[in-house]
Amino acid sequence: MTSTLFHMRNDLDEVDGMVTSLKAHLEGHLSDDGLFRFEICVAEALTNLVKHAETADLETPIDIAVTVERDTVVVEIFDPVGAVPFDLNANAVELSDVDLMAESGRGLGLILQCADKVHYGDVGGRNRMALEFGKAAA
Amino acid sequence: MIHITQHENGITVVRPGVERLTAVNAKTFKDETIALINDGSSLLVIDFQGISFLDSSGLGALVGVLKRIGSRGELVVSGLSSEVEQLFRICRMDRVFKAYGDANSAVQAMSENL
Repeated sequence: MTSTLFHMRNDLDEVDGMVTSLKAHLEGHLSDDGLFRFEICVAEALTNLVKHAETADLETPIDIAVTVERDTVVVEIFDPVGAVPFDLNANAVELSDVDLMAESGRGLGLILQCADKVHYGDVGGRNRMALEFGKAAA
Repeated sequence: MIHITQHENGITVVRPGVERLTAVNAKTFKDETIALINDGSSLLVIDFQGISFLDSSGLGALVGVLKRIGSRGELVVSGLSSEVEQLFRICRMDRVFKAYGDANSAVQAMSENL
């Protein structure tokens, strides 16, 4: 098992670069389909955090941990300090329930559909979303 | 940001001009394309050639452009990479947007339907 910690400035301009770096880090560990699903999930999760996780401390970077295990890749994304936790179940919307002509509201549905497992909750006093991807097809 | 090519019959090909159409640039893409519509363009091909990644914000912007055109024109897409095409399928956008392999095919098909 190897675990790597990344830090991203709490700024929308930083998301694409971080997503690209994380994807490059996992080349060879996930199949093309797994990398696609990983990229979608991480892009949506980081964008949601920057846009919606209110924090008074915008200077503290967002922590992201990527752990490569024998059969899985797990990415853990920690909410900014002071952000109010959200209720994953209450906010979860299946993509099939999203109006085709809606201009927003697909992010969480994409995460739930593309990740093999999604966990959100308090870990060591910090709110964390953990996304798991199987390596079976790599 | 967007690059525009005007064709005969009033068809306009719009290239977003980015490699990744995401939350950071989706609003600019939408605003600039809607400005084009407001200036009279109503037959649009949005050409995704060269775009490797699209997120839900980019998709939402595209839907917004389609809604602005409404019934006064037509919007189709072209040049979808396999990743972008997969996102379209997951979000059921393949039911909303007619897709062509490249911009020329889209322009030709659109011309024939005029």
